[in-house]
Amino acid sequence: MNRYQFEDLISEYIENELSLSKRKQFEIYLDENPDAGDLVESVRMNMTTMKHIPKIKASPDFNERLLAKIKAKPASLQRESSSQRTYFGFSPIHASMMSGLLIAFVFVSMQLFSSEENTATSHSQYLANDPVPSLSNPSLQNAKQASADFADVQEDSSSDDTQNKPQKDFSKQMHFVND
Amino acid sequence: MKQISSNLSDMSLDKQEIPFVYTDEQLIARFQAGDERAYVELVNRFRDRLINFVFQFLGDREQAEDVVQDTMLKLFEKKHYYREIAKFSTWIYTIARNLANTELRKRKRRKTTLLSHMTRDEREYELPAIQPETGQEVQTEFAEKLIQKAIHDLPEHFKTVVILRDIQELSYDDISSIVGVPLGTVKSRINRARLQLQADLKDLR
Repeated sequence: MNRYQFEDLISEYIENELSLSKRKQFEIYLDENPDAGDLVESVRMNMTTMKHIPKIKASPDFNERLLAKIKAKPASLQRESSSQRTYFGFSPIHASMMSGLLIAFVFVSMQLFSSEENTATSHSQYLANDPVPSLSNPSLQNAKQASADFADVQEDSSSDDTQNKPQKDFSKQMHFVND
Repeated sequence: MKQISSNLSDMSLDKQEIPFVYTDEQLIARFQAGDERAYVELVNRFRDRLINFVFQFLGDREQAEDVVQDTMLKLFEKKHYYREIAKFSTWIYTIARNLANTELRKRKRRKTTLLSHMTRDEREYELPAIQPETGQEVQTEFAEKLIQKAIHDLPEHFKTVVILRDIQELSYDDISSIVGVPLGTVKSRINRARLQLQADLKDLR
């Protein structure tokens, strides 16, 4: 152990926080260097003196004066204590701003979602999702008409599809077979 | 505010209705919930400790009291800033330390201003010497004065930690929280501060 290492460990030695092996090394150094022992004793003495420095007591009117100070600024205190209350770590102003933003975000995303859903939903899905009209409800007829129209449209489109389908030309192949 | 006044009007009383068993953290929680008797109990618990702490920085009892009053006022105003992630004692010590530092800075500014207005002759002054006197009590008092002067002359980062450890007798962990440096740094600073004190006192004795 050298002098620097010894000095670094003085407080831990005095406060009995050294490990056994380090304590042994420290004590060997103390035995070899008598002035080191004086230094340790001197530091220990200072620590004891500091612990026994007379403690000051607050003056008897300390609380009265404090109360007077608190009373002296009532309005500002009330305002501050209410404004300094925090919600989830946010001040009331920031908390209200954050919640406003959150609500706006949810509203906008709901709007976007519903508009996308509308465009993606087919007409039949729309009908399926439509609330079933009651018999007394005149919209029943409309709905029936709409579904009939839709069926017609589908039929037409299927017939159109067959007509529009390109016919395979086998003439060449036949010609080839004939050859 | 009438409510505050009526609740705090018992502040002068030494005995409060709050049971002694409450921890500091429970008291501040009660105060945050609106129980102002808890505030009174906290003031009574910490005023002397904080005055002793601040006095070591300022060396003036009245100013130390004023700083602690401001600390308690801050506690009243900013009670909702306290979170139970830290011990209440470390929080209140941090406030007191910051206010003491502010006071020291103000004092330095005042000194600089005054010195700049002084003539050359007026600037040459001597600190009052502390002479050893006879008698055991007087010797002890003399040693205490010497050590207080030596503490006062320590660099800021040494002074705070050695006061908190050797005079206030706080744990290393608490000191680390108050000054906001790692535990190892705190231990190292305290050791260095003690060695410097020893060296300074060796010259003075």
